[in-house]
Amino acid sequence: MADSSDTDAVYHVSTRGGVLFKALMIFATVVLLFALIVLCAYAWNLMTFPYDYDQGEGFELVDTILFSQFRSPYQNTDSYPFYSSNYPPLYHVIAAPFVWIFGESYWYGRLLSLLSALIAAIAIGFAVYREGHHRWIALLSGLAFLSSNTIYHIAPLLRQHIMMVMFETVAIVILVQAYPKRQKCWILIGLLLIIAAGYTKQLAAITAIAVIAWMILRNPRRGILWTLGFTITGGLIFAWMTLATNGEWWRQAIVANVNAFDPFQTFGLAWLWLRLHAFLIIPALLLVLHDIYFERLSLYSIWFIGSVILGAAGSGTWGAGDSYFATAIAAMCILSGIFFSRIIQRIWIFRDNYIKRFFQLARAHIGSPLQALYRIAILLIPILYLSYGISTFKMPTDGAIFGTIADVLGIEANVLDRHYDSATYDVLGYANIGHFVTADDRVAGDFITEQIRQTDAPVMSEEAGFSLVAGRDVITNPTQLRNLWLADLWDGSDLLSMIENREFGLIILRAQFYPTPALEMMGQHYTIDDVIVMNGFEYWLLRPLSSE
Amino acid sequence: MEEKPEQVEESSELRYILTSRFTVSKRQLGIVLLLLGIIGFIGIFALDYIGGGREGGIGPAQHAALILMVVIALFGASLIPLGDSPA
Repeated sequence: MADSSDTDAVYHVSTRGGVLFKALMIFATVVLLFALIVLCAYAWNLMTFPYDYDQGEGFELVDTILFSQFRSPYQNTDSYPFYSSNYPPLYHVIAAPFVWIFGESYWYGRLLSLLSALIAAIAIGFAVYREGHHRWIALLSGLAFLSSNTIYHIAPLLRQHIMMVMFETVAIVILVQAYPKRQKCWILIGLLLIIAAGYTKQLAAITAIAVIAWMILRNPRRGILWTLGFTITGGLIFAWMTLATNGEWWRQAIVANVNAFDPFQTFGLAWLWLRLHAFLIIPALLLVLHDIYFERLSLYSIWFIGSVILGAAGSGTWGAGDSYFATAIAAMCILSGIFFSRIIQRIWIFRDNYIKRFFQLARAHIGSPLQALYRIAILLIPILYLSYGISTFKMPTDGAIFGTIADVLGIEANVLDRHYDSATYDVLGYANIGHFVTADDRVAGDFITEQIRQTDAPVMSEEAGFSLVAGRDVITNPTQLRNLWLADLWDGSDLLSMIENREFGLIILRAQFYPTPALEMMGQHYTIDDVIVMNGFEYWLLRPLSSE
Repeated sequence: MEEKPEQVEESSELRYILTSRFTVSKRQLGIVLLLLGIIGFIGIFALDYIGGGREGGIGPAQHAALILMVVIALFGASLIPLGDSPA
């Protein structure tokens, strides 16, 4: 980003960081390292849990199993087992070999996600170090990414989102240097990684837009040529998938994925994101402003602004949530890290323009406070990381180790009487997850699975995990059926007929995501037999009404 | 495998737009953003009329989009005086 060769002015300001700076940096590092420990403990806790934790994990496992059998998960949902995936395939394809070795299980998908988060954090640290040459800030930047409540949520889940963020982050870190240097091989790798991100989750389109805009801004001719190659490659894969699945890829993953938008969910989540991450958002924005007014817009800046605006807009759609800010959080960590590194390394570029002249005029009147400002700024860096660590703080409040730490720190549970989350679970769209699962949760899952085993009839479950553990067919993907129904693409006659004929021995509901006609039919022909609480969520066990 | 790095003299003159010398200047970016903000602002207002029969006036999402367009237009305008330095 910085190119000192063409500076109009380079301000070198000497400072003595001193003991206070180091002490505060150590304190900030300890707080952020603790967040990493909590994340690893949470990941381990989930890896040992054999059922769904976040709704939808089981269906991603089903996709993985289907790919491991060389079968497509993009299927016609109008006939038995009424199942289709609505996500791109790459995450599941990468996880598929684990099915061959370890069988059907959640842990390897969750491990892959955790590794993706760690790789993204390393890429962030690398980017900050490459630009700012300060190891400690680079370390804190990577840790800050992992400390975010949003990243904490999704990092250990059998969901594809964090792998998309990893592909995006690595791609951006490569392209930011390769494109200006015209390193064709690395540009190609960077763009292929963006395609990989897009075929991991559709949301990567935001990063693709940012990259294309930046490439065209730097040089329209080269930008358009690279974009052409990028679009043709991505388009050919898309066309092949559409043909290979008889159009189901297009219908299930694209057409049915257009959901209703709730602006209040967007506002709530955007405000929450600001509140939790403000201590790093402000430095990131300052660097963006410096880039545009005094240097050149970097890819990081365009990526950040694009992912904030478009990510926030997307977060208001049905089924979306705080995870839609994950890409913006990665960009924020890089930009804030570079900003802090530049302050410590004491090198800034200020090209001559009307803004610089305004500040020079002001300095002429009030004197130069630059030295004093720098001393304050340097001390502010660890304080900001520390404040960020506190702002994003979350931990279990029970158990031998975490319970003791919570007692010592005076942390009280604000979620389920066993977990503290600085974000709380109150904002619409914020994923109500992050708390550890308990032995009782596992017993509850085993109980539900046993109920499935006790019936010979097919079982319809809103989560796939119970059916998978019981060795039964996974029937339906409720959110997908709902999306298809809302898009007027669902022919539910076969499924409705099975419900009406009470062919299902058991129906398990958690959030009632099914299409309304299916729920109404269940209400007419099934009754709630039992309610089981698992992971803080209620699972309704519905059994067929007696025929009289 | 490598092209020449960006050491060639860059230019924002439009006659070079299809060459590898051209780069977008802050002024050009500013003009584009200013126009985008103005057209976007008018377009979002026009949605109410095009949508004929929609009730309730400007909703919260439209409000946010209008504010965004104003910010984009002002930001664009502030870039125009920065001249030919690369964006």
